[in-house]
Amino acid sequence: MPMVFLDRLPVPSIRVYTTISIAILSCSVYYAAQIVKDPAWRTNQTEIAVGDGNNVTGNGIANDSRTIGVHLEELLACMVQEPGCIWTLINMAYCVLILLGKSIQKLVFGELRVSERQHLKDKFWNFVFYKFIFVFGVLNVQYMDEVILWCAWFTALGFLSLLSQLCKDRFEYLSFSPTTPGWSHARLLGLLAAILALSLFMLLLCAAAAFFFVSFNTFAFMAAECILLGVRTIHVMLRYAIHLYDTRGAAGNTSPRSWDKRGPLAYYTELTSELTVLAVDFLHHIHMLLWSNIFLSMASLVICMQLRYLFHEIQRRITKHRNYLAVLSHMKQNYPMASRDELAENSDNCAICWEKMESARKLPCGHLFHNSCLQSWLEQDTSCPTCRLTLSMQANHRDSPLELAVVSQTPVRRNENHFFHFDGSRYVSWLPSFSVEVTHSRLRGDILALAHSNSQLDAMARQVEQLFPHYPKNIILEDLRVTRSVELTIENILDGRLILPHHMMEEPETEPVAQTQTTVLPGSFAQNSWDPRFDIPAADSGEEPSNLGGRFSKSSIERELILQRRKEHMLLSARRRYLEKHRNSESETRNANGNLS
Amino acid sequence: MITDNLYVNIMAGSALRRLMAEYKQLTLNPPEGIIAGPINEENFFEWEALITGPEGTCFEGGVFPAKLIFPPDYPLSPPKMQFTCEMFHPNIYADGRVCISILHAPGDDPMGYESSAERWSPVQSVEKILLSVVSMLAEPNDESGANVDAAKMWREDRPEFERIAQKLVRKTLGIPC
Repeated sequence: MPMVFLDRLPVPSIRVYTTISIAILSCSVYYAAQIVKDPAWRTNQTEIAVGDGNNVTGNGIANDSRTIGVHLEELLACMVQEPGCIWTLINMAYCVLILLGKSIQKLVFGELRVSERQHLKDKFWNFVFYKFIFVFGVLNVQYMDEVILWCAWFTALGFLSLLSQLCKDRFEYLSFSPTTPGWSHARLLGLLAAILALSLFMLLLCAAAAFFFVSFNTFAFMAAECILLGVRTIHVMLRYAIHLYDTRGAAGNTSPRSWDKRGPLAYYTELTSELTVLAVDFLHHIHMLLWSNIFLSMASLVICMQLRYLFHEIQRRITKHRNYLAVLSHMKQNYPMASRDELAENSDNCAICWEKMESARKLPCGHLFHNSCLQSWLEQDTSCPTCRLTLSMQANHRDSPLELAVVSQTPVRRNENHFFHFDGSRYVSWLPSFSVEVTHSRLRGDILALAHSNSQLDAMARQVEQLFPHYPKNIILEDLRVTRSVELTIENILDGRLILPHHMMEEPETEPVAQTQTTVLPGSFAQNSWDPRFDIPAADSGEEPSNLGGRFSKSSIERELILQRRKEHMLLSARRRYLEKHRNSESETRNANGNLS
Repeated sequence: MITDNLYVNIMAGSALRRLMAEYKQLTLNPPEGIIAGPINEENFFEWEALITGPEGTCFEGGVFPAKLIFPPDYPLSPPKMQFTCEMFHPNIYADGRVCISILHAPGDDPMGYESSAERWSPVQSVEKILLSVVSMLAEPNDESGANVDAAKMWREDRPEFERIAQKLVRKTLGIPC
């Protein structure tokens, strides 16, 4: 692999490289200065040898009437003419660019993560590879100065796209954390804005170039790259804005955002920018292929591969969008928005996002969800998230009352029931017991008839009754009519009406225990002869320390600390319990042995 | 290799809020014997959970650490769960990955026997996953052999299985055997 080889190349560190570059630059500046000292350097420059420098110096200072400005100008002109000097200048430009990149990285990103570095490297080599093919395969540039101009253009472009890629990666990383400080968002957004501005500037630049020097085709090549960069940057910025809007709501945790409006907005932002990028890229590649007449070359092969990939991506995206639209229209036709009463009745949160429901869609089984939550679930699966009722995506039941009537006459029978009963108290006293009934409905896709069947309600009620025999059946039935799910009713009983939901059971235990030493190392107390290294101090005998549980701090550092303490405490008390238990059993066996002997 | 991945994470915001809500609930109202939370709040999509072995089983008393990795479109897709301590159990792979139906996305069915109804749905939660794992520890399902040796031993040589389990329990507690 070329990458492996490149990795092993001894690349000098930036410090060394900068030093060398500056040294070479100053050498060439000195050299040029020596030449320029002679006012007549333009005419006799070929005859001046470096060794004559000393002779010239004496004369130069004496009769040099040129101002410093003119002097510098001539110095520059000389350096541009000298082939050795121009390479040092180019080298210096790259060096400055690298330093600039490095300082931006330090300023905005700090230490790069491994994946970011990897992405950057991949992107860089891809970029170099494709631009090489473009310059030498497609444009077929012959002259050195043209190559240098294209190099300069692509260097600027590549630099900006690498930064933009880095911003994207970093944004994706930051979006995984709720506690990112505001200023790191601000810096990233600032950098994105700068990239956007520069890409617009470059667009203007190539428009200007199109006016004066280059052909329309060249303009199209250059413009396409700028547009791609710009659109990608805008895309990241928009996503960023949506994300910030979203998480600010989460941080407050009080103001429920209008999620329903946000969902489609985010979706269409994503869709349009992705499609724009793909379409522009596609056209760009087709343009390359057609313009250069390179059908029988390696370059055309590479471009065709890229075209194929882009085509598949576009196709995939459009298929996905079709699916989205289908689900949307299906939902609109089949699942009505829940009425205000229904919302009030089901006052709990949306089961998908756990947030409050201001408006919701109602599935035939009676479960309510946010519009967009339900939408994104139905795009990947066609069943009710709560009760697993299979939803038919093809049939439109509203439009076929006849079929509905026929179906509702046939007795509703579930083909296959999985009844999963979990009796937690068998394992740990506090664990709840619950049953989950799993229904496979294979009723020719009919979903309305199923939910309203009385016989099914009765069957469900019987199941609940088995678990809670002391509950009157009519209450269970009442609740089942609302929830239409055994699981939910049981949950209702456990949480709402039964006296002891599990958080209540813990409450008596939160007596003020003098519990501060959670990080005491085992071994500091030797209170028992039996393996004293693992004895836990007596102060640790309380239940979950009251200062740790039951509180959800607003500060992330505190939360982390509390979690850490709780974990340590859990481990310590588990260890203590284990040792106590085994000590008892050991002493019992020892006693038994003693009695025997 | 060729271009940027068109990886979509418009859902990350809602996933983040949901995870925050779950974390809050698990902190304020923890099921006993279970602690779970993000390893580092810089990345809310990687959690660590401590699970106490259920009483009356061979894993009793142990505190088993596990890692939970959430996808960006959580809760639409299930998290991945992997024990970070040594485990010997019919439903846990040798590398610690947990094989229970609740953690499988509705689409995939690695074992080819589960009905989609037993699989992941967005109404599931970290708490439900961890409770399922507790019950899995108590009652291995030897039909889905993630660890065939363990499944065989569980069926045929229960005392030896219990001995190994107890050794693991001691290991997690840091008590030498």
